[in-house]
Amino acid sequence: MDVTMLLHGFYISASPENLLACTVGVLIGTVVGILPGIGPTGAIALLLPLSFGMDVTTSLIMLAGIYYGSMYGGSITSILLNVPGEGGAVVTCIDGYAMAKKGRAGAALAIAAIGSFIAGTLGVLGLTFFAPLIANFALAFGPPEYFAIGFLGLIILTNLTGASALKSSLMVAVGVMLGAIGMDSLTGISRFTFSVSELQRGVDFTIVAMGLFGIGEVLHTIAQSHGKAILQPVRFWDLYPNKQEWRRSVAPIFRGGAIGFLVGLIPGPAAVISTFVSYMVEKHRSKYPDEFGKGAIEGVAGPESANNAAVSSTMIPLLSLGLPFTPVSAILLSGFMIHGVIPGPTLITQQPDLFWGLIASMYIGNVLLLLINLPLVGIFASLLQIPINVLMPVVLIITLTGAYAINNSFFDLFLLVLFGVLGFFMKRCGYEPAPLAIGLILGPTLETGLVQGLIIGSGNISSLFTRPISGVMLLCAMMVIIFQLAKWLTKWNDNRKLANTQYISHKN
Amino acid sequence: MSPKIVRLLGTCFLSLTIVLAGCGSTPDKPVVIQEQYPTKPITIIVPFTAGGGSDMLARAMERSATKYLGQPLVVVNKPGGAAMVGWNELASTKPDGYTIGITNVSLILQPLYGPTNYHYPTALDPIAQVASLPIIMAVKSEQSWQNIDDLIKYAKQSPGTIKYGHPGLGTAAHVAAEMFAKTAGITIEQVPFRGASEALTAFLGGHIQLLFVTPAEIKEYLKSGKVRVLAIAEEQRLNDPDLKHIPTFKEQGIDVIFSIWQGVGAPKNLPEDVKKKLAEGFSGIVNDPTFQKSVADLGLKVEYLGPQESAVKWVAENSRLTKIIKETGIGETIASQKN
Repeated sequence: MDVTMLLHGFYISASPENLLACTVGVLIGTVVGILPGIGPTGAIALLLPLSFGMDVTTSLIMLAGIYYGSMYGGSITSILLNVPGEGGAVVTCIDGYAMAKKGRAGAALAIAAIGSFIAGTLGVLGLTFFAPLIANFALAFGPPEYFAIGFLGLIILTNLTGASALKSSLMVAVGVMLGAIGMDSLTGISRFTFSVSELQRGVDFTIVAMGLFGIGEVLHTIAQSHGKAILQPVRFWDLYPNKQEWRRSVAPIFRGGAIGFLVGLIPGPAAVISTFVSYMVEKHRSKYPDEFGKGAIEGVAGPESANNAAVSSTMIPLLSLGLPFTPVSAILLSGFMIHGVIPGPTLITQQPDLFWGLIASMYIGNVLLLLINLPLVGIFASLLQIPINVLMPVVLIITLTGAYAINNSFFDLFLLVLFGVLGFFMKRCGYEPAPLAIGLILGPTLETGLVQGLIIGSGNISSLFTRPISGVMLLCAMMVIIFQLAKWLTKWNDNRKLANTQYISHKN
Repeated sequence: MSPKIVRLLGTCFLSLTIVLAGCGSTPDKPVVIQEQYPTKPITIIVPFTAGGGSDMLARAMERSATKYLGQPLVVVNKPGGAAMVGWNELASTKPDGYTIGITNVSLILQPLYGPTNYHYPTALDPIAQVASLPIIMAVKSEQSWQNIDDLIKYAKQSPGTIKYGHPGLGTAAHVAAEMFAKTAGITIEQVPFRGASEALTAFLGGHIQLLFVTPAEIKEYLKSGKVRVLAIAEEQRLNDPDLKHIPTFKEQGIDVIFSIWQGVGAPKNLPEDVKKKLAEGFSGIVNDPTFQKSVADLGLKVEYLGPQESAVKWVAENSRLTKIIKETGIGETIASQKN
C-alpha cells in the first residue's frame, strides 16, 4: 500500500537533481523566512519561471521546499529582533524575543529548529497516511463553519497575553475594524478607504505585524534612556538549551504539531491561526503560566511546531483535491498547472511518481533544514552582539525593504511606519499587539462566513446552529461566554460581600 | 570670518547650486523613437495576486518575451480592488511603451458598476488579445438534474432554494449566471466568494448546488465523474476532447454567450512605432508553440486579436455589456450596495 509507494518515492527524491532541487528550495525558503516582508508566496512566484525547464517533480520539490523552509527561517528574526519574518512567526516574537533579551536567544533558536523538525516530520507522516480522509473532512467545512471557527477563535484567543482582559478585547476590536478596511469582495463596497485607492486591497497582515512588533520594538529600544551598547552578551555554552528547557519543550512540541496539523485545514491564514491556538493551549497547560510573555520556552516550542505542521496539512487539500486553501498553495497549484499537472483525486493514481516523490522530498527537506539551522544558531545568536546603534538602523532598512517587496507599493511603507508608531505607543500604555493581530486575521473570516452562511441558509440565522459542525462550535463558544460571565459574577458578588463585611466591621 | 563659518556657507551654496541645477527641467519633448525600441526591459503590470490565471499568463509570455520583443518582460504584481489598483496605475503611467499591463473583460465591467478612477475602456489601449476562457455551469453528479431543463423546472417550482457560487461580485461568471437566470426566467440565489477556488471548495462540500466557473479548475472532477457540467456559455461546443461533450447554453434554448477574454494593454496615446513594435512582438509570442502549450496547460484557449481588432472588440463589448448589465439588474444591485 502506501509504504512501498513511499519507499519508491524516496528512491525518486534521492536522485541527484531532485536532491539538489530540494536543497536549493529549502535554502531559499530559509532565507525568505528570515527576510521580513517577502514571504513564500512572493518567492515561489519569482522562481516559477526558473522551474519551466525542469521536470515537474523536480520543480515542485523545489517550490514546496521554499514553503516549509520559510517556516523554519521565520522564527529567526522574530526571536532575535522582534521582527516577524512572516505571519506564522508573529507569536514567536512574544516569548522568543523575551528569551533573547534574557540571553537565551540560542536556546530559543535551537528549540524552534528542533520543534519545527519534529512537527514538520509528523505533519508529513500525517499527510502520507491520512491525506484522503482528512481532505474529505475538510470539505465538510462550509461558510457557516468558518463563521463558527472565527467566532470561537475570537472568544477563546482574546486574552492571549493575559494582561488586562479589557485592553486585550479593545485591541481585538481594533483588529477586526482594521480587517474591514478595503474593498469587500462580497458586496463590492469600499469600506474605510478614505478615497485612497491603495487601501482598496485592505491592510496587509504582514505589514501590520512587522510594524507593530518590529518597528514598534525598534522605536522602543531607541527611546530607552538607559540604553545598553549591545542587547545581551551571550556565552558560548548558553547557546543551546539546558536540560530544564528541553524537558519543558517536549510536550509543547508534540501538542503544537497536532494543533498545527488540525488547524492547518482551515482555509486562509491557517499557519498563523495555528500558532495563536498553540500559544493559548501552552499557556493554559504550563506549570509556569506567569513566565509567558517574559520568556517561557513553551511559548516558542509550541507555536513554532504548529506552523510547520500546518504547512503539511495545507498540502492535503491541495494534493488530494486540487483546492488551494492558502495563497501559498494557490501559487503551488499554478506551479503544478503550468507543467500540465492538475492535482486532484486522480493525482495519486495517475502520477504516483510525482505524488510520492514530492512527499518523500518533504521528509528529506525537513532533515536538511535541521542540519542547516542548528549549527547556524550560534552565528545567529551572536548577531545580537552587534551594537544597537548599528543593529537598529539595519533592522529598519531590512523591514522597510521587505515591506515594499510585498506589493511594490510606497503606501505600504507609510502604513508600516504608521503601525510602528502605533505599536510604540501601545507598548508604552500597556496594550499588547497580539490581540490586534488576532482580530485582524479572524475578523474577515468571521464576516465572510456569516454573510455567505446566511445566504446559504436563506437568511435564517438558526440555520447556523442546526448544522452539526458549526452548531457544536457555536455552542462551545456560548458555553465559554457563559462560564466567563459566571466567573465574573461570582467574583463581583464575593467582592461585594467582602466590602459589606469590611464596612460592617468598620462601623463597629 | 572664521573658517568654520566659511565652510558652512560654502557647503550651503554648493548644495543650493546642485539642487537648483538638478531641478531645472527642459520642456517635454515628444518621445524620440529610435529604431532600437525597446532599449530596456518592459514592465508588465498584473493587477492580480501572484499565482492566479492572469499572473500565470503573464509569466508564460515572459518566457518567450526576449525572443520576440528583444527585451525581457518584468512581471510586477499590483493586486487589489478587483484589479482597479493595477489598472489605475497603468492608466496613469507615461505612454512610452515601457509599462504595459494585463487586461481582461473586467475592465469593461467595472466602470459599469459605479464610478472608477479612470474609464478603463477609453483610458487604456489594447495591444493584443491573447487568450479567452469559457464559462461553464456545473452541478455535482449526485444531484438529480441531468440537463438544463431539469434544473429550470426545479427552480421554477421552488424559487430561491438553489444557491449558486461564483468567483466574485461583478465578475464575468457572476454576470453570466445572472444572464442565465433572467433568460430562463428563474430565481437563483448568488453566494459570493473570493475567487474560484473558494467557490469550488464550497461546491464540492455540497454547501452550494450550482457553480459558475471556468473549466480549468474543474477538469479533473469532470474526468473522474464527480461533477456534471450542464452547459457552457460559448457559441459552439469546444474542441477540447475532455470538454467536447458539454452542450452550449444556446443549443439548449438559452441564449447566453460570455467568455472571459484576456489581453495586453497600455496607457492611451502610445507612439505609433512603439505600438506597432509591441503588437508584432506579442503576435510572435502568442503564436510561439511553447507559449501555446503553457496556456493550454493552464486551461486557457489561445485567441489572438491584433490591436485594431481588439479596439473594435472593446467598443462592441462595452455596448453589449452595458445593455446586459442594465437588463439583468446586476448594475442596480451592485450600485445600490455601494451607496
